[in-house]
Amino acid sequence: QLRLSVNAARDFTLRIQRQNRASPHSPSPPPAAAAMASKPVTAPVPITWYPTLAVFMLSIGLLITASFFIYEATSSRKTRSLPKELTTGALASFFLGFGSLFLLLASGVYV
Amino acid sequence: MAVGIGFRRRLDFLLLVIAILSAPVLSDLILSKVERQIDLTSQIARISSTIKAENDGSSSVSEILLAIPELQAKNLAYLTARVIEGKGKARTSGLALTVEPANPKGMPPALSFYSIVLPKPLANGDSVTLDVLAAFTHSLRPFPEKITQADIHLVLFQDTGHYLSPYPVKVQSLAVKLPQARIESYTKLDNTKTLGSEIKYGPYENLPPFSYSPIAIHFEANQAFAVARELVREIEISHWGNVQVTEHYDIVHGGAMSKGEFSRLDYQSKPQIRGASAFKHLVAKLPPRAHSIYYRDAIGNISTSHVRGDSKKTEILIEPRYPLFGGWRTAFTIGYGLPLHDFVFESEGKRFLNISFGSPMHDIVTDSITLKVVLPEGSKYFSVSTPFAVQQEEEIKMSHLDIFGRPVVVLKKANVVPEHNQFFQVYYKFNALAMLMEPFMLITGIFFLFVTCIVYVHVDLSISKSSASYLAKLQWDEVRATVQQIQNIINQCLSTHEKLEASLRDLSRTGDVQACKAARKAADGLLKELSKELKPLIAFLQSTPPAAHILPKVEELVAKERELQERLMAKHSTIVDSYEKKLGGKETENRVASVQQKIVALRQDIEDLMEYIDEI
Repeated sequence: QLRLSVNAARDFTLRIQRQNRASPHSPSPPPAAAAMASKPVTAPVPITWYPTLAVFMLSIGLLITASFFIYEATSSRKTRSLPKELTTGALASFFLGFGSLFLLLASGVYV
Repeated sequence: MAVGIGFRRRLDFLLLVIAILSAPVLSDLILSKVERQIDLTSQIARISSTIKAENDGSSSVSEILLAIPELQAKNLAYLTARVIEGKGKARTSGLALTVEPANPKGMPPALSFYSIVLPKPLANGDSVTLDVLAAFTHSLRPFPEKITQADIHLVLFQDTGHYLSPYPVKVQSLAVKLPQARIESYTKLDNTKTLGSEIKYGPYENLPPFSYSPIAIHFEANQAFAVARELVREIEISHWGNVQVTEHYDIVHGGAMSKGEFSRLDYQSKPQIRGASAFKHLVAKLPPRAHSIYYRDAIGNISTSHVRGDSKKTEILIEPRYPLFGGWRTAFTIGYGLPLHDFVFESEGKRFLNISFGSPMHDIVTDSITLKVVLPEGSKYFSVSTPFAVQQEEEIKMSHLDIFGRPVVVLKKANVVPEHNQFFQVYYKFNALAMLMEPFMLITGIFFLFVTCIVYVHVDLSISKSSASYLAKLQWDEVRATVQQIQNIINQCLSTHEKLEASLRDLSRTGDVQACKAARKAADGLLKELSKELKPLIAFLQSTPPAAHILPKVEELVAKERELQERLMAKHSTIVDSYEKKLGGKETENRVASVQQKIVALRQDIEDLMEYIDEI
């Protein structure tokens, strides 16, 4: 098997060399694109930041979720306050939402 | 000729001869020099002709007609023409000219015409040199049509030895380039010679228009006859930074059909003899910086592939699960991701995708290609600009995190060769804020979960609101809440005590009596407030019956805490006094000793009580 794969690799190199000599029809970007003064579209956030952003946002979101649930568990009916619950929930869902979006992007599912 | 033309071809020949005799004479253009080169080294027959046309008549000519026999015209995949300027070393070729199918009247039947529109009309006496390239697919006919594994793969190519044109030709020559030096047979016209793997016909002089002299070349061809019967190429744009290309291939070996049995042993031991016509590898040339390349089929991942990339291209060599002999088929999928900034640009408010059209595989013939460009959700006003004619359609695709689907522009074309691998553009309008819909959807989904939690905690789901156990539970909840509040307050008192102790320690370190006194005052105030808060809670507990068994403990706790407070205050004032009187350390300690013991004991008691109350 090893010999076959070595042969395949050698075949590959030879074939590529042959192809490079005899390929007249390789596409090249048309000059019109440069002449139109078009600028390339890039992602809103640099792609190399995606994993870091995912980890940080998810951890912050999970911390706020934990504080939300602790508040729910330790407060009694009288002392609970709805605005505090809603704000904590909204903040937690904001961070968790963005964190899961960046997690999807970092793992290659470009949504 | 060693090989007969065949009945069908003889009929065509007869028709053409009749046509030639009855053909009219066209506008006074004369082709003074035609040099043709037929390249048969791959499965695509490429005919490049250098034509020098002279205007001999009186009127100026703005277009030149090309004639192709109809049987050949069915296989015509690509036709392009350029003007050549300069001679010899200074030759430059201009931009591609428009070539349109034409239907001139009074022409012989069984011919297809194409007209080349000249950039400026050719005046009387002027001449222009054109370079015409035509690519034909499926024109190398395997002959014999069925071969065994050990047979030699021979193909037959038929064309005309004299250049077929509606204009008279003064001087012409033809050179046919074959892949190997082995030629089974070829038509010998006058002035024919072979040099290795090339056959040269000509030069022929002063031939009338529509002159046609059929030639047939029968030769050995071992190059890969890879024909993709169907190719579906899907390009998905995501503005988060990726252009994902997925290509589904259905490949067949387009050469002579394989008959008899296939011996793997023979094939692997002597591949040159037993299986020279088969091909094992396919090479594809992808743009540089292609990532996440996968190669799989219906069974799963195919691991026999190699990828090599540099700054100009990424080359992949794929090896299907079995070698392909004549008539054998294989179907697989190749996918890869490309960086967004290499292929999507923005100009004048519109964005456009600039990407190559055909398959990136080397020397492959595609019988039918369906190219789908999936634009991000919320794109509008799309338009396509391709360098050649395609059929266009639209559809919708539901992909990740979509609400109403992504618009898809579908382009279809038949008979595609690698010359069609040029760049094309798809323009669309996209609002960048539409990208925020995706995280917004995730956020609302998760927030809905939180709201469900809140609702669950707030809502009272008991069926009977007046039963004794329900009321008892309600009361007990209230009692527990009150006890918790009392505990909170006691904890706050304890922390105030801690602060007092800390101020005493500071005093022993720094000797600042004023700060100590200030701390004492603050603590006093705080403790008074806390005891005020404590009063209504104790009153409530005293009034509710279910709290009966907890009430004594709570009262004990409160009482002990008060005692502790008093002792602590006493200790504090004693220590401050002794500092003011500048007594020694030992004296202070003596005075405080008994109080200190009681304080420690009380603290312990309070802690025990708190624990006990907690457990209830």
